[in-house]
Formats: sequence, structure tokens, C-alpha cells
Amino acid sequence: MVELVPTLLRQELARLAESDARLDGRGQWDGREVDLQINCLYNAEGSAKVVMGKTIVYAGVKFELRTPWPDRPAQGSLMCSAELRPVAHRKYEPGPPSPESIELGRVVDRGIRESGCIDMESLCIVPGEKVWGVMIDIHVLSDGGNIFDACGLAAIAALRTAIVPAERFDVGEDYTLKVKGAPIMASFTRVGGRYVYDPSEEEELGGDERIHITLGDDGHLHSLQKGLRGVFTPAEFAEIFGVAHLRCAELRKLVALQEGN
Amino acid sequence: MAGYGDVKLLRDDGLRLDGRKIDEMRPVTIEAGILPAADGSAMVTHGLNVAVAAVYGPMEAHPRKIQRQDRAVIDVRYNMAPFSTSDRIRPGFNRRSREISKVTAEALESVVLVERYPRSKIRVEIEILAAEAGTRCVGLTAAAVALADAGIPMRDLIVGVASGKVEGTVVLDLDKAEDNYGQADLPVGILPNTGEVAFLQMDGDLSPEEFNLAMEYNFKAAAEIHLVMVDALKRRYEGGEN
Repeated sequence: MVELVPTLLRQELARLAESDARLDGRGQWDGREVDLQINCLYNAEGSAKVVMGKTIVYAGVKFELRTPWPDRPAQGSLMCSAELRPVAHRKYEPGPPSPESIELGRVVDRGIRESGCIDMESLCIVPGEKVWGVMIDIHVLSDGGNIFDACGLAAIAALRTAIVPAERFDVGEDYTLKVKGAPIMASFTRVGGRYVYDPSEEEELGGDERIHITLGDDGHLHSLQKGLRGVFTPAEFAEIFGVAHLRCAELRKLVALQEGN
Repeated sequence: MAGYGDVKLLRDDGLRLDGRKIDEMRPVTIEAGILPAADGSAMVTHGLNVAVAAVYGPMEAHPRKIQRQDRAVIDVRYNMAPFSTSDRIRPGFNRRSREISKVTAEALESVVLVERYPRSKIRVEIEILAAEAGTRCVGLTAAAVALADAGIPMRDLIVGVASGKVEGTVVLDLDKAEDNYGQADLPVGILPNTGEVAFLQMDGDLSPEEFNLAMEYNFKAAAEIHLVMVDALKRRYEGGEN
């Protein structure tokens, strides 16, 4: 049943692509409306909720005290992971983390880590003995397409609201985690032969490979990922790279707007 | 229980630390149909607790061995998000969540007309996003609303509520401090229309009189929460949305 649908869907998506149309009426590079809420969860040291169309994602930040890695005695650590729990869609099964959820968490993790937005040395309490471990957990509640961008946005927005709970761990006073800039992800899926920005659930089901681009405030690349079966040309990449700059800047403004409120 | 006697939980004026009366519940809000991917869903906030439930199905029961020839099985997963508690929880099932899932499933199977759907499975996913004591009850309430939102026939709703005992006094709806340092906790799942009980757990120390009073409080709170549940479902379907 589920296997039949994509065949028909693919035909319809290919037909729409001829006239540069999309199933939900959007233009090729248009995103869905994004709703971002920050600091929305009790108990998380930082949190965010992102709604993009039928996609709903929460991210929460927790801290723990740990001993530093032997080769980096004066640096804290950052870990970002995502869970695609069965709550999010009927296609997700219970069990240990799937390759899909591991990929998702790691792509988001790389974008945040490599942007250098967290100064790892600022997470050191006693060199060689005690450092902060920052854990960002992403919880997908509803998969309505393009969970990568939703997860990336929720993760950085949650991180930027985080308060280091030093009092609870008896290592000084609570303070706001210093986060420099906001790495933002933009995702594209090949649908009907050409790339579209912010694919919906139907477009992912009837589409091909996807590309995820994470950009820093200065427009530099911090993570790239190609997923699923398919190939692309450098010219195609150049085009979506240009779109990514625009969309990431818009989402970064949204983050700033919410923080200003 | 741990810490009993060390922590003061009732103020001199007879109110509780958060200012509630002994038979006063934390505020409850409910929204039905919040997850677009699910067949039915609900979000319940109860004090600072946040629980989300999604229902998928009825669908074919897999694996085969869980199938029942005469009825549907309800497959419940109660899960706490890693960031839902003060110390991060490692993702994945643990003994506590398995037990809660099991008794929650059995409670729901007591109200859903499962014989209407032989050989099938109804998946109920309960996700706790923020925990402030009483999450199993909040999750149960959310699951009941989500099942109704999915249009699955039921004999009645179930309302999850808890009472307990702090400093020798029976109180309704324990908060975090009262749960940690109190003397008893009595979470129940009440069928608001029939007055029956489908979910029951308890730990601590209660006299028969205290138990009766705690149950009285629970029934009173269930009636209040029931109104909020019905209102959430009405708002969902009277608004003209599907």
C-alpha cells in the first residue's frame, strides 16, 4: 500500500515540476511559514519549539559535570542528538536509534559544533578535572517533512536560551551560556527532477536525494550532507547554495526577533 | 519515604508551599488534535507538566504473535524526553517506563471498545516533555483525549489524577517537592461518567481513612479535569476543522 503511493505521487510531482509548480502551491524556493517559540519547557535549561507546516519539533538543553577528554583537558563538550520516536509518524518504529535519527542528530551537531558558536574552553571549570558537558536533545513530535531544518533551528534556538545551572551543581552562580552567532540549516530535496527548498512530507515521499547546508552568520559553510539515492551537478549546487544564504538569513532574523521579545 | 520529616511541605497558614489549598489541583489545560501526522493527538499541561499523546491506528497488528483473534491490542509507549527532568534522562526504555506503559495500556483497553477491531493494533505514544510529578496521570489523560480525537469508540474517557499524603495530611495532586518528600502517592485513572476506576497504583503509607479521603479528592479532581477534556474535544470538532 505504502509502496504504491510514491509511484503515483512521483508522476504527479513530475507533472507539476514541468510548470514549476508544487503540490501545496509554493514556489520552488519558498519555505513554509515557521513558528518559533523559545524557553517553552520547564526543567530544560534552554528550550525551543519549531512548527513548520505539519512538522513539530522540540529541543531541550541539559548540562552535566564530567571529566574532560584526556587530549583536551581544558575543554568542555557538546553533544547533539535527535530521536525519531514513533510518536512522530506511523512510519517510525520503536527500538534503538535508527540510522536516520543518528544521521539527523549528527548533521545538526556538526553545524553547531563547527560554527564555533560555543567556546569549548569557556565550559572548563577545573582543567583536567571538571568541565561542563552540554547536551542538546531534539525530539521530533510530528514529521510533516523537512525535519532537518526544523531540528537545526530548534537546536540552536534552544542553545541560545540556555542558562548554565552552576548553582544546582555547586560550582558558582547560574549564568547565561555564551553563544556566538546562530548557524542555520537549509535543506533541499530533488522533486520532479529539480531541487525545491523545504520539502513537504509528500515531496519527500515522492522525491529523490536531499542536500542539507548549514551556514554561519558570515555565510560560511559549517556542515554539508547529501542523503538518499541520487546525484547532482556543481551548477545545481551553486543554485541552491545561493538560495540557502537567503533562507538562512531570514531564519536567523526570526531567532533574533524571538529573543528580542 | 526519603527525607520525610526534614522538609516542611505545609505552611503555618495550612496552605501548601506553592500556595494551594490541600484539596486544590494545579491548573490543567488541554488541546486536542495538535499533531498533524497522527490519527488522534492531545497535549495536556498540568501545573508545569507537559504531556503529548499520539494515536495511530487501528492498524494491522505486528508482530503476528501479539494479535488477538477477538479484539484489538493497545500498544502504549510512555516515554520521558531527555530534557524533561532536572537531570538528563538517557534516551530509551527503562523499567519504570515499561511498567507505566503496561498498566496504562491495560487501563485504556478497559475503556476502548477493542472487540470492534479484531486482530488489529492501536498505537498510543505518550511523550513527557516536562515533568513536575504526576506524569503518568497527565500522560493517561492525554492518551484518553487522543483516542477520542482519533474517533476510536470508547465506553468512557479516563482521567488521570493523583492524591497523596504530606506531613500526615492528605492532599490532592502532589507537586514535585510533595512527591519527593511526601509520605504517599495514589495515582488513579477514573472513568468520569461511570465512576469506575481503570488505573490504580500507590506507594507509601496510607490508613484506610486516608485512602478514602484521597480517593474522594481524586474523584472531585477527575470531575473538574473531565470538563476540560470535553471542552478540548468540542473545540476541536465544533470549529469546523475536519
